[in-house]
Amino acid sequence: MNTSRWFRWVWPAVPIAGALVVTSLLLFLFGAAPFEAFQAMYQGAFGDQSKTLSVLAFWVPLLLSSTGLLITFKAGLWNIGIEGQIVMGAVAASWVALNLEAPSAVLIPIEIVAAMLGGALWAALSAVLKTRGNIHEIFSGLALNSIAIILTNYLISGPWQPPEGGTFRGTAPFQPSALLPLFANSRFSPLSLILAVIAFILVVIALRGTFWGLKLKAIGVNLRSAFLLGVSSEREMILAMMFCGALAGLGGAVRTLSWFDSLRQSISGGIGFMALMVVMLANYRMFLVPPIALFFSAVLSGSITLQLRTQLHSSLGGILTELMVLFVLLFGDWAKLGIFRKKDDDG
Amino acid sequence: MIAELFTTTVLVGILASGIRLSTPYLFASLGETFGQKSGVLNLGVEGIMLLGAFAAFYTTFITENLWLGLLAAIIVGGIMGLAVAVISVTLKAQQGISGIGIYLFGLGMSELLFRKTLGTVEIVSGFSSIYIPFLSDIPILGEIFFQQNLLVYFAYIMVPVSWFVLSKTTLGLKIRAVGENPEAADTLGVSVSGVRYFTQIFGGVMSGIAGASLSIALLNVFQQNLTSGLGFIAVALVYFGGWRPLGVLVGSLIFSMVNALQLWVQVLNIPIPSDIAVMMPYVLTILALVIAVQRVRPPSALTKPYERGG
Repeated sequence: MNTSRWFRWVWPAVPIAGALVVTSLLLFLFGAAPFEAFQAMYQGAFGDQSKTLSVLAFWVPLLLSSTGLLITFKAGLWNIGIEGQIVMGAVAASWVALNLEAPSAVLIPIEIVAAMLGGALWAALSAVLKTRGNIHEIFSGLALNSIAIILTNYLISGPWQPPEGGTFRGTAPFQPSALLPLFANSRFSPLSLILAVIAFILVVIALRGTFWGLKLKAIGVNLRSAFLLGVSSEREMILAMMFCGALAGLGGAVRTLSWFDSLRQSISGGIGFMALMVVMLANYRMFLVPPIALFFSAVLSGSITLQLRTQLHSSLGGILTELMVLFVLLFGDWAKLGIFRKKDDDG
Repeated sequence: MIAELFTTTVLVGILASGIRLSTPYLFASLGETFGQKSGVLNLGVEGIMLLGAFAAFYTTFITENLWLGLLAAIIVGGIMGLAVAVISVTLKAQQGISGIGIYLFGLGMSELLFRKTLGTVEIVSGFSSIYIPFLSDIPILGEIFFQQNLLVYFAYIMVPVSWFVLSKTTLGLKIRAVGENPEAADTLGVSVSGVRYFTQIFGGVMSGIAGASLSIALLNVFQQNLTSGLGFIAVALVYFGGWRPLGVLVGSLIFSMVNALQLWVQVLNIPIPSDIAVMMPYVLTILALVIAVQRVRPPSALTKPYERGG
């Protein structure tokens, strides 16, 4: 038991190592020295203060989305629509930022609430389509993602286009009081980190220590018996989706109000999909989510420097993370094949 | 202004481009139909399409041979399909997430290869229109249906072929059995893994061709994220089509016709916000899903890896 428990906590390192090996091979093929490349990547992520802050700034929305996904996965829901929920959160926050004028202390809370509402309502659509329309959340999520992105493009090129003319790139920068206060000269907002940490702690408590968390687990493990035991599956599923959407929406607000200063075309930048990978890599163990999300952020930020140093494109960072996930799928199955047979009961 | 839409030339133009634009959806969705019929959901279609599109474009660009380009897309698609099969069938991974992994891998890999090899957007001369003798001379109908490029014809031939294979052959029966009741199929000596490997590789090949139909027949360019969500729509179209090739055809046509309409609206400068028009197909899909799902049922074993009971 002890060794298998130790294994379970350590095994996320195995796929990471596997992915590094395969990426090294790729680097060789493209004629770059792997060691130097990884060094450049590390430099790019933690080389100096501004780079580390940039990693943190990327980490916060990723952590928020991953935290939200912990709730939906607990309830057995595949919230592929999280990408759209992030976008709708950003749209809602931008609407407030563009239409209200107030000092920061008033405006920022309103923006945050609006973003959480926006994400939650978009998620509720998926949930209601599932419970009432009997449509699998994966399919409605895919369609709603597309609609959210097109809606953003419409707003940017139409009603919200900057006064000097539509550029398709984004709206005009928001008023300064609408933006989250930033740390030094970076894109990192300490306030957003505080919110993300609070959200993570609350979700862990809710899922581990409350009756609601138990109900979600019952739904996720066996919908039918949960229903027979009197759990209102429809209500809990919609709530789970809405909580996830709210956190994703908050992530979207962080993107638009601190990473950028306006609503942009690719406001999410795939963070929702990446969050799915984070939760997958953590194998639903909650405390692994923040470090893995941080690692992903570091890899992605680092690969931008890699591009400057070695003329390799930054998409390599994306490939590295995806390879990791594929390796997780491989090693995740080792668990199933019986290396550690004991069921994970503490999740 | 709106009246301009209802002239014969424009209507014929819309219908002809609608038929043409439906090619990538058709290839990808028909391939995915086989996969889902056998109980495997592959959400990574988009990623495979991107890799297929790049392989086809790059090979054509270097060799100036369209057939080699198409072959490259088929090979790359097949390899990716094999990867999906290993992950979903042998390793029994969660299909909802592993597909997203395949998508992100294809997105990153195709971009990296594009930057390292081409660097900038280049153009190739893709498959040109083939005028079918006699048929293409029929007024209106000829222009809509029989003056298309080779891959368009191929896509439309694949619709009845897919229907025939799935409904009328032993192979189709095996695929359906494996997707509905793998235990029973296994008992009768059908190799559940074997059938699923076949459908995944076939689906990968079809996705690869779908990508090629974009990069060397429809658009004749390659750039990063060329497919921009098209592969995800293809997966949703399978659902919309009720896992039937004919349903998939109807779905693809609705989607591409509305898209063609929206393109012409822009061409004619009709003052409808183009993004509203772009959104129409998606909203339609959701509405159609609500209606469609009430009458069809997904394959029972969809997304469920098969394990022999002990």
